Amino acid sequence: MELFLARLFDGISSGATYAAIAVALVLIYKATTLINFAQGELAMLGTFVTYVIAVEQGLPVVVSLVLAMVATAVLAAVTERALIRPFDPSNHLPLVIITLGLFLLINALAGMIWGYDPRRFPGIFPADDLYTFGIARLRWYTVGTLVTVVVLLLLLSLLLRKTKIGLAFRAVSSNLESAGLVGVRAGPTLQFGWALAAAVGTLAGVLFVSDPVRQLDPNFAQRVLIFASAAAVLGGLDSLWGALAGGLALGLVESIVVGYVEWIPSQFGLATAVFVLIAVLIIRPEGLFGSKRVERV
Amino acid sequence: MSTSERSVVDGSRPPDGMPLLVLQDVYAAYGPVQVLHGISLEVAHGEVVVVLGANGAGKTTTIRSICGMVTARGSVKVAGEDVVGRRTADVARLGVAHVPQGRGTFADLSVDDNMRLGAYTRKDSGVAADIERWYEAFPVLGERRASAAGNLSGGEQQMLALGRALMSKPKLLLLDEPSLGLAPLVVQSLFERLGTIKAEGGTTMLIVEQNANLALAIADRAYVLEAGTIALSGTAAELQEDDAVRRAYLGY
Amino acid sequence: MSGTLVEGSSAHRTYRIVTWALFVALAVLVPFWAVQTPSFSIGSSTFTFSLSNLSHGVSYMVAVLGLGLLIGYNGQISLGNSFFMGLGAYITASLVVDNEWPYLLTLLVVIPFTFLVGMLVGIPALRIRGLYLALVTLGLAAVFPALVRHDQVSERTGGANGKRISSDLDAPSWLPLESIAETLAKIPLVGEWAFGEGRLGGREEGAIWVYLLLAAIAGIAFWLTRNLIYSRPGRSIIAIRDNETGAAVSGVNLSVTKTLTFGMSAALGGVAGTMYAMAVQFVAPDVFGVNLAIFLVVGLVVGGVGTLSGAVVGGLVIVFVPLWASQVESVPGVPERFLRGPTGSFFLGVLLIVLTFVLPGGVVYGARRLRSRLVRVQPSRGTAVPDDVIDVQEAAAEGLLSRHDPSRVSGL
Repeated sequence: MELFLARLFDGISSGATYAAIAVALVLIYKATTLINFAQGELAMLGTFVTYVIAVEQGLPVVVSLVLAMVATAVLAAVTERALIRPFDPSNHLPLVIITLGLFLLINALAGMIWGYDPRRFPGIFPADDLYTFGIARLRWYTVGTLVTVVVLLLLLSLLLRKTKIGLAFRAVSSNLESAGLVGVRAGPTLQFGWALAAAVGTLAGVLFVSDPVRQLDPNFAQRVLIFASAAAVLGGLDSLWGALAGGLALGLVESIVVGYVEWIPSQFGLATAVFVLIAVLIIRPEGLFGSKRVERV
Repeated sequence: MSTSERSVVDGSRPPDGMPLLVLQDVYAAYGPVQVLHGISLEVAHGEVVVVLGANGAGKTTTIRSICGMVTARGSVKVAGEDVVGRRTADVARLGVAHVPQGRGTFADLSVDDNMRLGAYTRKDSGVAADIERWYEAFPVLGERRASAAGNLSGGEQQMLALGRALMSKPKLLLLDEPSLGLAPLVVQSLFERLGTIKAEGGTTMLIVEQNANLALAIADRAYVLEAGTIALSGTAAELQEDDAVRRAYLGY
Repeated sequence: MSGTLVEGSSAHRTYRIVTWALFVALAVLVPFWAVQTPSFSIGSSTFTFSLSNLSHGVSYMVAVLGLGLLIGYNGQISLGNSFFMGLGAYITASLVVDNEWPYLLTLLVVIPFTFLVGMLVGIPALRIRGLYLALVTLGLAAVFPALVRHDQVSERTGGANGKRISSDLDAPSWLPLESIAETLAKIPLVGEWAFGEGRLGGREEGAIWVYLLLAAIAGIAFWLTRNLIYSRPGRSIIAIRDNETGAAVSGVNLSVTKTLTFGMSAALGGVAGTMYAMAVQFVAPDVFGVNLAIFLVVGLVVGGVGTLSGAVVGGLVIVFVPLWASQVESVPGVPERFLRGPTGSFFLGVLLIVLTFVLPGGVVYGARRLRSRLVRVQPSRGTAVPDDVIDVQEAAAEGLLSRHDPSRVSGL
């Protein structure tokens, strides 16, 4: 029982971070039916920027995080304008190629600037436990991550439902042509989506490495991207709350499968994610909460 | 074209009497397929003009060339501004509202959100009141304001699309085959509504339609499009009397 | 200066034979030059061109060819060919080291095995399309390193440490490599400059032999793939890319064709893996990860999506861009520790983005456009020779990466 609780808490905390990156993917997908393969790397970059501001400049971690979120949002907005907008959104291949190019570029750039030695990240939550049941520790980190992601989703929902830019964003994702006909400029709206997704991604990256058992290096996001994609697809690629459900489900599956099935070593968490991804796409491509409209494009 | 043909004289018209919409020698193509071969037409302030034509004659392309939805050559002027090469959203911001073929509602957004998007370019505070007024005219829409537009019937969606277009208080309203796919009774009430809008004054309309009977009934003037060129033009009354038009489009 | 050749005329035939002969001669002679490890210097940096790198590049050519068959000709955006390349490389490594098989014999296991695994992956791909397929196959690429590190197989795979293959490929004694080298060195004016003194040690002879073997395998792979593309099944493969519904309506069996294409693409990846094992004689888990998956895409795009010859350029780019990037000693204004970092990935990433903008057809189209200024091949009238068909197909392929598709019709 205690072991199960321990697995449960582990699953929830990693699941919540997968969910946060998944939310970033969903934001881009909703707007453009594009999967941004560089989303994880943008999050990694934002996490390093947070680290640099917090550790090297000595600002509080939360302030550093906000600054890094703004910086990556600006970077993503510029990227969208320069590299994505010139292409026809209905032709996927060039866009896949551009985002893969960004993936390589950002990953290498981080390696060139910061090297590959793992770094200890100053967490944004207290490092101690909130409560312990024998070996099962309910950590501040677990609760903090979950609460942060839920609050993030509430804010995003409000933004999309109640503001004019949110309305424009939903219009563009619902019907690009009609959005133009009512005077919504698609370009700036999608740019806003990219900026928002990058900021959310940075938050997610920081949440991920805030776990004292994890460390920061330029490759941490590759694995997270696969998990986040599986989470996003599981939740239904166009559903924000679905991303949370998908992320949590995947985190739990990972921690329970790897924890209980002996012949599955820890590296196989990733294989579990890929398996879930394939299974969902075959059995229920619209995911758990996605709208039917979302087809396999 | 003489001024007497216009049923409504719009006060906001520029003093020199310049028409609101002028197409001059417009060519348009989809890839290698040339669809419009030099179209010229104009719509004066407050006028309702109908473009008739068979399938494939280039009616929709004519409308799309106004909104920057197809690459066009030639000159398209809205209130004196050349809009060729402009983006759709920027043309919309000049006061052009377009109800596209197939209605173009935001299917997974609520009826309310659809109406609000219609007023996206408006800065004034009367939006909510205007939405209520439209719901009063079409209570079905009001009742289903919170449900997704995609769940409405074809006729309800057409009324929603029309309402959404009018929410922007357009100078020029473009309607692309509004009767397409609707039951005859619904078409009847749709054109009655358009007649009311015309009678209330102010909204200039360009309607592309195959249902010539109803369209000519509310129109001031009409053009007949054949194979990408203007074959015939005149007042609505003249065209209703024209033998060729009667045979081809009116069916008697 | 530009000449016009009529398709099918004897002049055109001569032109084709001469260009092909030049290419083959170049491919056969280049190892005798590269074995001297020629180098060139820019500023304080010296860039080398070694035979082992060249052989390494030849193995990537076949991997890019396999990827190109799937993406460029069949329109399935898959990123998983590094997975199959890894499978091939590890099977060869294990059979050569643990079972003492000769290298080439391992192909008898690698080809059917990767073909079958490829078909297995291709079956879900029937229902997973576009971006989702790209996502799933990228996941597959990410899983491979963990797979070979797995405890159950680490005895055969060498686990995280990788596996060194010590079995050398010695040139057979009947092959007069030494005397060819001597003869080449005696060519007046350029001989010594290009081929050195013409003396080869055992190590050099072995390197040349490996290269020639790999070049022969690559030649066969390209030839078979070309024949496939020109054949009736090849037209089905292309028809699916251009218009899936249209192809189905015309009687193309979508699931069979797509699954088989996936299998063939995977088998080419497997062969490339065997070639990699022969060229590098060392396999390690992280070689065949996500980065390689993306490198192969870079190779495809740089060479030209929807061309076969582009894979030749692509394979070389994957090896030589990172190699030369790592050999840069100093760049004004750039801190030195940057240059010690992963500059290869950096440049490949930049190259990928820049090429998609400036030369979406890749190097092959650029070269063709240049050539068409010199030699114009006029199609012979009346008969629709296969080349015409392919030219039209390739014109369509050039549009695969275009920024705008003006031909989308939505109502008149």
